[in-house]
Amino acid sequence: MLLKMNKISKSFGEVAVLKSIDLKLEKGQLLGLVGENGAGKSTLMNILGGLFAPSRGTMELNAEPFIPNSPNDALKAGIAFVHQELNLFTNLTVMENLFISDFPKKSMLGLSFLDRKKAIRKTDELLSEMGLSISPLAKVDQLTAAQQQLLEITKILNNSPQIIIFDEPTTSLTRYETEKLFSLIRKLKADGTGIIYISHNLEDVMLLADQIMVLRDGQLICQEDKTALSIPKLVKAMVGRDLDQYFPSRTTMPAEENLLEVKHLFGGLVQEVSFSIRKQEVLGFYGLVGAGRSELARLLYGLDPFTSGNIRWKRNKISKPSPTKWVHEGMAFLTENRREEGLMIQQSIEKNIQLAGLTKERSLGNLIPKQIIKNKVRQQANANKIKYHDISRQAVATLSGGNQQKVVLAKWLLLGPELLILDEPTKGIDIGARHEIYTLTNNLVKAGSSILLISSDIEELIGLCDRILVMSEGRLTKEFQKGSFDRSNILAAALHGQEKDEKR
Amino acid sequence: MKWILNKNMQRLLDNSTMVLFALTVLFFSLLSPEFFSFNNFFNILVQGAALAILATGMTFVLLTAGIDLSVGSIMFLVGVISGKMVVSGLPLWFAGVIVLGIGLAFGFVNALFIFRLKVIPFIVTLATFYAGRGLGLLISDTRAINLPESLLKLGSGKIWGIPVPILLMLIVVFLAYFILTRTNFGKHVYAVGHDPEKSRKAGISVNRVLLKVYLICGFCAALGGLVAISQLGAISPTFGLQSEFMAIAAAILGGTSLFGGRGSVFPGTLIGVLLIQSIQNGLVMINADPYLHPLITGSIIFLIVMIDSLQNMRRKKAKKLGLN
Amino acid sequence: MGAMAGISNSKSGFIIYLCVGYYLIMAVLAPGFFTLNNTMNLLFNLLPLLIIAIGQTYVMLTAGIDLSVTSIVAMCSVLGGFMMSSDTGLFQSEFAAILFGISTMLLGGALIGTINGFAVAKLGMPAFMVTLTTMILFSGLAIWLTQSQNLYNLPEAFIDMPYTSLLGIPIPVYVGLLVVLVAYFLLNRTIFGEWIYAVGANTKTAKISGVNVPKTIVLVYVFSGLCAAVGAILYTARLETGSPVMGQNILLDVIGAVVIGGTSLFGGKGKIAWTFFGALFMTLLDNSLNLLNLSFFIIMVVKGSVILGAAILNTVLEKSLKAT
Repeated sequence: MLLKMNKISKSFGEVAVLKSIDLKLEKGQLLGLVGENGAGKSTLMNILGGLFAPSRGTMELNAEPFIPNSPNDALKAGIAFVHQELNLFTNLTVMENLFISDFPKKSMLGLSFLDRKKAIRKTDELLSEMGLSISPLAKVDQLTAAQQQLLEITKILNNSPQIIIFDEPTTSLTRYETEKLFSLIRKLKADGTGIIYISHNLEDVMLLADQIMVLRDGQLICQEDKTALSIPKLVKAMVGRDLDQYFPSRTTMPAEENLLEVKHLFGGLVQEVSFSIRKQEVLGFYGLVGAGRSELARLLYGLDPFTSGNIRWKRNKISKPSPTKWVHEGMAFLTENRREEGLMIQQSIEKNIQLAGLTKERSLGNLIPKQIIKNKVRQQANANKIKYHDISRQAVATLSGGNQQKVVLAKWLLLGPELLILDEPTKGIDIGARHEIYTLTNNLVKAGSSILLISSDIEELIGLCDRILVMSEGRLTKEFQKGSFDRSNILAAALHGQEKDEKR
Repeated sequence: MKWILNKNMQRLLDNSTMVLFALTVLFFSLLSPEFFSFNNFFNILVQGAALAILATGMTFVLLTAGIDLSVGSIMFLVGVISGKMVVSGLPLWFAGVIVLGIGLAFGFVNALFIFRLKVIPFIVTLATFYAGRGLGLLISDTRAINLPESLLKLGSGKIWGIPVPILLMLIVVFLAYFILTRTNFGKHVYAVGHDPEKSRKAGISVNRVLLKVYLICGFCAALGGLVAISQLGAISPTFGLQSEFMAIAAAILGGTSLFGGRGSVFPGTLIGVLLIQSIQNGLVMINADPYLHPLITGSIIFLIVMIDSLQNMRRKKAKKLGLN
Repeated sequence: MGAMAGISNSKSGFIIYLCVGYYLIMAVLAPGFFTLNNTMNLLFNLLPLLIIAIGQTYVMLTAGIDLSVTSIVAMCSVLGGFMMSSDTGLFQSEFAAILFGISTMLLGGALIGTINGFAVAKLGMPAFMVTLTTMILFSGLAIWLTQSQNLYNLPEAFIDMPYTSLLGIPIPVYVGLLVVLVAYFLLNRTIFGEWIYAVGANTKTAKISGVNVPKTIVLVYVFSGLCAAVGAILYTARLETGSPVMGQNILLDVIGAVVIGGTSLFGGKGKIAWTFFGALFMTLLDNSLNLLNLSFFIIMVVKGSVILGAAILNTVLEKSLKAT
C-alpha cells in the first residue's frame, strides 16, 4: 500500500468540509477523484499536499505515519501537486523555471556558478521526454497555456515523485495535447507512480482510472473499481439527492418580451455566441470548467473587451458596455471570486451592502441619506439572513463563506436589478446557505427580474432554470427547455459538444 | 486605441529607450559638433559613473518590487565622513573601507525593518533617508567640506589608460550582470520580485534574498558616493539630494519595472544612465538655460514611463482578446 | 464583535493621546511653549500642512501617492506672485489682483492634479512615477519661470490676511476649517467619498459594483492639487513673497502626518480626523524641538525615527487584526 488516508475530517470554523474520509492508493494505480464543486476534493488533496492539517484522522505513506507540516514536507516525501493555478515564474525562462529551486552548478576560482550549458542540456532532455518542442531559453509568458501546463508537469517530474496529484490538468489543453498528457500518465503508472486524478470530465476519468472515488458534500460516497461503474452511475453518485428538498418551487413563467439579446459575440475564449434572455426568465449556462461561460459573462458585463458582436438591452443597442453603465441600467454580476471581486473584505458589512445601490441613479456630489440607507441595508441583511453582530463595524472578513456570499447577494438585491448574473453562486457554500440563496433568487424572479445562472452543478441548473444552454470550447452547443431536462444529455452535450457541432 | 496594436509601432515601442537614446544622441550631435566626439563620450561616462553604480544597486531592489529612498542620504553621509577622515589625515583606503561598511550597515537596517517588522520599503527607507541626511548634516555642521588633492587624484586618475570612475563602473556593472544572470541568487531575485508566495513554495528563502538585495544597494550607494566626491572639489550640504529619484528613474528608463521581476542592469540600467547623462551633458554642450534642465529631463522621463505603461496595457488587452 | 472597530478606535485614540501627552510634557519642558504667542505660531504652521495632508489622505485612501504636492505649492506660489505682484502690475486694483491671483493659484493646482490623475487612471502609469516626474517638472518650471527669483510686493491686503481677524479669529483659521469641513463632508456624506473608500479597499470589487474608478482617481488627484494650492495661498501670504522653492522641504512632513495619523498606504482605511492629529503631531514635534534649541539635524533624525515607529505600530496592529 503506497498511501492510506484514515478517517480524515476537516472543518473550517462551523462548516464541516470533510467527514471521515478513507482513501487507499497502490503503487502504479490511478485513482480518479470526482465530485461537485465544494464536495471536498481540493480540501482532501490539500491535506495530502501539506497545506492544511486534518481536524481528525491519520495518513500513512509506505506503511509509515505521514504528517506533513508544509507543502515542502509533502514535496520532500515525494508527493507532487499539479495545481490548476500553475506555480510558474512567467518572467523567467523555461530553463530557469525548471531549476529555480536548485540549479546545476560549477566551480570557478572556488566560487560556484550556474552551469548554464549543463542546465540547457538537461532542460532539452526533459523537454524532449515530454515531447515539448520549445527553446529552453524562451520566456514562460510567451508560451501557450498548454505549453505552460506541460512545463509545470515537467518541473514536477524532475523531482521524481512517488505520488502525483493532478487537479483538472486538461482544462487548457486541446484534445491532441490531452492525448499526449494521457500517454505520459500511462507511462508514469507503468513506472510505479501512484496518481490521483481530479476532473469534472468523467469520460477522461473513466478512460484513465483504475479506481474511482466519489465525494459529495464532504462525504465519501464510494471508492470502487472502474469496471463496476459507468458515467450515469457516477453522475448519480455525485449529485444524488432529493430535489424537492433543495430547490424551492417557483410558479412564474418567462414573459414574451426579450430583456437582453446577444448576437455573434466573439472575444478571447468566446466564439460566436448568440442568445437572448426574456423577462422573468432563469437562463442556465452549463459547461466544463474552461468552456467559456464566465468569460462570456465578463464580456457581456464590460469587464473584458470583445472583438465583435452585438448586445441589445430592452431593444436598445449597447455599444460599449461597462459595469457603471450596467449598474445604472439595472444589471448586476455576482462573480465567481467573491473575495477578489465581490467584497471589500476589510470593510464593514454595511459599506459592502450599500456600495452598488448608492451608485445607481445618483450623481457624485449627491448627499447620502444616511438613515434611509442604513435602514434599507439592515432590512436587506435581515432578509438575507446574514448572521452578524454589528452591521456598521464588523468587517466582512470575520464572516463565514456562506454569509459572505449572502453579503454580496444583498449588495445586488438592494440595487434591485432587472438582470442578475450569478457565476457559481453556491461554490464552496454549505447546504443551508445554498437553500437560502435559492429562495432569495426565486423571490427576485417572482418580483419580475431575470437571472442568468452559470453553474457547474447540473442539479442546481435543473432545479432552478427555465432553459439551459450548454457551452463547450467557447461555443454554444445545445439548448434544453424546461420539461426536457435530462442530466445525462446535458452532461453529454458538454462533453461531446464539439463533435455534435461538427456533425450538424 | 487601434494604433497600439499596430505591429511596427509595437516593435518600435518595445525598444523605446534605445530609440529615445539614439534620438537624443542624434539631436545633440546636430546641434553641437563637440557633443559627438570621442572625448565627450569619455566625459559622459566619467560623469555618469556614480549614477550608474547607484542605479545598479537600486535595480536589485526594484527587481524584488522594493524601493530604497535612502541612497542619496547614504551618498551624502559617506561623502561627509570620508571627507572629514581624509582631511584629518587618515589614509584614503581606511576611510574607504569605513564608509563602505556604513553603506552596508544602512542596507542591513533597511532590510531588517522590511522583512522582520514587515514595514513597507517606502516608509523604512524614507525614515533612513531622514536619519542619514540628519547625521550627515550633524557631522558636517551644515558646512561645505573642501576635499584634499589625494581624493581628487583618485577621480582623475587612470589605470591602463582608463579613468578610475569608468573602471569602477564597469566592474560594478559587470559583477551585477554576472550575479543576476549566472548565479542562483540572481534568479531568486527575479523570482521573489515576481511572486514572493510562489518563491516560498519553490523553496527560496525570501528573507535572505531581501537582505542581500538591500545590502548590495547600500554598498553601491556608498561606492557611488565615493566615486562622486572624487570628482568634486567640495561636498555641499545638498550633495546627493534627489539622487535616489535619479537612480530609480535610470533603472525604470532601462526597462526595470517598479512592480518587480522585470529588468536588467546590463544593458537596461546602464542605457538608462547613459540616456540621462547624455541629456544633461548635451544640454550643457548646447548652452541651454540651466533652469531648463530639470524640465527637459523630467519630460523625457515622463514620456518613457508613459510609453512603458501603454505597452503594458496593450499586452494585457492582447492577452484578454486571445491574440497571444 | 467589533475587533476591527476596537483597533480603529484605539488607533485614532493612540494618536490623540500622543498629541495630548506630548503637548503636556512640552508645556513643562520647553521654555516658551505654553504661551499665546507660540500657540499662534503652532496654528500658523499647522494649517497649511494640515490642508495639504488632507489632500494627500484622499490620494492615499485610493492606494495612491502624490509626491508632486511640493511642486504644486511652488508653482502656485509663483503663479499667484506673478498675478498679484505690483512689479508685474497686471491689475490696477488690489481687489482684482487678489481675486485673480487666488483663482489662478487654485486653477493651477487643479490643473496639475488633473495631469497626475489622468496619467494614473487613464494611462495606467504608476502613481509614484507620475507624481515624481511632475514633481521634477513643475518645480523646474517654477524655477525657470522666475529664473530662481522671488516675487515681492504682493498686495497689502493679501499679506495682512494671516493677521486679519474676523470675530476675533484669524482668516487662515476659517480657511483651514472650511477645507476640513468640505473634506469631511465629501468623504463621509457623499457618493464620491463612498467611491474613494471602495476604490482603495478593492478596485476590482468597486469596478464591478459600478464605481467609475478612473473618474474617482482623477478627482482625488485634483482634490489633492486644490488642497496644495490652498496651502500655497497661506504660505505665500505668510512669507509675503511668491517663491519657486516654497514648500521644498515639506513632502516628508505631509506623508508623515498622514501615515502617523493611521491612514493605510494600501488604501481603503483612513479618516480626516486621523490626519488632523497626525499633522498636529508633526507640527508639535517641529515646534517643540525648535524651542528646545535642538539643531536642524537632530530634528531630522527624530522625525525619521517617529515615522518609522508609527509605521511599525501600524503593521503590528494590522497583523493582530488579521489574527482575529
